[in-house]
Amino acid sequence: MKNQDPQHSTDFFSRRDRAYEFVRERWDMMALAVLAVAPLCVPALGGALGGQVTTLFIYCILALGLNVVVGYTGLVHLGIAAFFGIGAYIMAILTVPMYPFQIGFLAATIVSVLITAGVGLALGAPTLRLRGDYLAIVTLGFGEVVKVTLRNLEQITGGMKGLNPVPPPGAGVKVAGIDLGLAFAIDPRWFYYLALVSLAGVVLAMRRLEDSRLGRAWVAVREDELAASAMGISATRVKLSAFAMSSAVAGLAGCLYAASLSTTADPNAYDFNRSIMVLCAVILGGLGSIPGTLLGVTILVGFDTVLAPWADSLIQQMNINPSGLILLSFSGWRLAIFGLALVLVMRFRPEGLVPSRRLAAELHEAHP
Amino acid sequence: MKSAPFGLGRSNRSPLRGVADSPLLDVNRLTVRFGGLVAVSELDLDVIEGSITSIIGPNGAGKTTAFNCISGIYSPSAGSVRFEGHRLERPLTAGICWRAIGIGLLTGLLCAAAAVDVDRLWLAVVKRGMVTGTPFTLVDATTRLRGYFRAELAIDQMAGKWRVVSADGADVLAITRELSEAKALRNALQAAVTARRVGPGTVPDTSDLADVVEAVPGARQLPTVKEHVLDRLAAGKKRIRWRGWTGLFVGWMLGTAGAMAVWQRGRRSPHIVAQAGISRTFQNIRLFSNMTVLENVLVGLDGRIPGGVLGMLFRTPANRRSEETARCAARDELAFVGLADDANRIAGQLSYGDQRRLEIARALATGARFILLDEPAAGMNPTEATHLASLVEQIRTRGVTVLLIEHHMNVVMRVSDRVAVLDHGVKIAEGTPAEVKRDARVIEAYLGGA
Repeated sequence: MKNQDPQHSTDFFSRRDRAYEFVRERWDMMALAVLAVAPLCVPALGGALGGQVTTLFIYCILALGLNVVVGYTGLVHLGIAAFFGIGAYIMAILTVPMYPFQIGFLAATIVSVLITAGVGLALGAPTLRLRGDYLAIVTLGFGEVVKVTLRNLEQITGGMKGLNPVPPPGAGVKVAGIDLGLAFAIDPRWFYYLALVSLAGVVLAMRRLEDSRLGRAWVAVREDELAASAMGISATRVKLSAFAMSSAVAGLAGCLYAASLSTTADPNAYDFNRSIMVLCAVILGGLGSIPGTLLGVTILVGFDTVLAPWADSLIQQMNINPSGLILLSFSGWRLAIFGLALVLVMRFRPEGLVPSRRLAAELHEAHP
Repeated sequence: MKSAPFGLGRSNRSPLRGVADSPLLDVNRLTVRFGGLVAVSELDLDVIEGSITSIIGPNGAGKTTAFNCISGIYSPSAGSVRFEGHRLERPLTAGICWRAIGIGLLTGLLCAAAAVDVDRLWLAVVKRGMVTGTPFTLVDATTRLRGYFRAELAIDQMAGKWRVVSADGADVLAITRELSEAKALRNALQAAVTARRVGPGTVPDTSDLADVVEAVPGARQLPTVKEHVLDRLAAGKKRIRWRGWTGLFVGWMLGTAGAMAVWQRGRRSPHIVAQAGISRTFQNIRLFSNMTVLENVLVGLDGRIPGGVLGMLFRTPANRRSEETARCAARDELAFVGLADDANRIAGQLSYGDQRRLEIARALATGARFILLDEPAAGMNPTEATHLASLVEQIRTRGVTVLLIEHHMNVVMRVSDRVAVLDHGVKIAEGTPAEVKRDARVIEAYLGGA
């Protein structure tokens, strides 16, 4: 608490506090500046690493979407990957050459976001009156239903093959004689910037919502549904709006995902594991906290998609593990390390790595 | 309707319309039972606009239960609560019926899609449009859609050859090299299928399909089409339509019934009561304890802040203005209860008395005309209780009617216009404070029988 309040700090701490305060206030612009410049300085971002970091950004968007329901509104949501998948598949259906629509990336994104929000509403309207565990079961079940549906509607979704190729954004659009789609296809840095801009936009939107009527209503419903209701807030409607918002953001992430991979991948990419991984990232980082969510995703997903493959290739290069033992491969330990990290965080920092102001206050009060 | 304070519009979300004569609140033979226990029994209570009315009684007399009933948390087992002459329930309007029917229609379409196999429908309408070489047009798609529901034979392409297939693509009747042949063959086969009669009592059609094929120039190949396949194709139209309509109807009924059930269960809800203009505080303080003091009041103001999600997302000038107005209004409310300096503190960290006052500020912020205070002075020392009493009197001067549950008799006797005494769920006395103080039954209820 002391660090957050420079007026009451002693001189001894003031310098450190000021630096802390600066980072606390300006972390977003600093991170954005570093990430915006990075591709120009780090050549590896023009290769496979660029694609991996793009995926990381997309997961950040997905996690921010989940954070609306789980963090702000306090509902358990175990099926966010379903909305991610729906977004990706609608993107693909509207753009792949095998279907007649081919309406282009931007229009497809808008339609896809609207449809995922609508699906979120359709799922939420009858079920959000359920409390706690029951809602968790509904969302879990919905996730499975969507996965199986995507797998079984073979004519529409291509079954296990998925839909491809999803054309890159701006395919066919020529800017100064360069086909934008071709540029996207050749250089991963285009996608890197697209994902970064989308992420920045989502962060900005979340900030604004946090600090507006709707955001306050979300938190109020989380804190005390009955009291919020007695203040004239329709808890169902507020939860529904959170659900729709989260679905829409997850749909946006799905669109970017499909476009950046140029395929929807198979339906198993949108299964329960993915939902849980994103949920873990949100909890690890701090429920209801934007920087926390971003950090949580960076740690968990970054570990999974960037660090683990890199460590594996390193082990292979150094010829430590010529027989291919799973025990010696780094990614074989992935889930164990996940679990350990979560246990440690829950033991020593239950509010998450970067807790939201509100939860931090609560937990500091509990342990004076 | 009185002008709203602080320049913010009064909530116009109230589903209860119309204004009627006083009494402002009319509780009529209100009974609440929990299983066999009667918590409140045939309570009659009128609250005149602009008054302060107190409900007192020993612990467990049913005071809070009556409050919960008025504020929509419980449903009365019998009797009614009317506010400004209206029941505190969401009325059944035409809009709700239409919405239920609309939801039912969507459910019906979903069921119908599943019943007619949307996967094969997609194959027939979209995918076949992409393989037959001609550009995809909406007219063709509509034709194919109609064809699917008439179970007509269609043409598609597989491995460079043209095939005559059933509408759902399950049966392949012929394979040819040229599209024109396929078209001719399709028409001939379709005529054969249409001519075929199926069902009980019909004589089996033994006409040879090979004749049909031979009549078509250029046709080369025809896999043996079994009798039962032809029967199935001939019955296809009836079947697909039966499925579609059944799915639509069942889904529609289920969806409409479900929407109406949800409406029925959400009829009485605290937020409907609050939107009608009744606000309350709680006996066990229910603040949003991790939000700041100011935010707590802003949540109370929620219904009076105009603007939609897009305004919030894009921070339009209108949105910024309304937020600013709301913050001013919230600060005014805090100043009213004497918490102006604590606006940015976390609500849970306030002292007990301050939390109670914050709850009052939050309740007043809703713009309510009627406020229910549930033991606002509980846990306060005599000085704080005196301050609270004057606060309650100030609330009245704002034109807000107060209904109070309180155990501090000093507060009750000082502020109340009327006092109702409850014991074991029954109202045993009602009148001015002086009358109630003298009432023998009240004295007995409090001190026990002589």
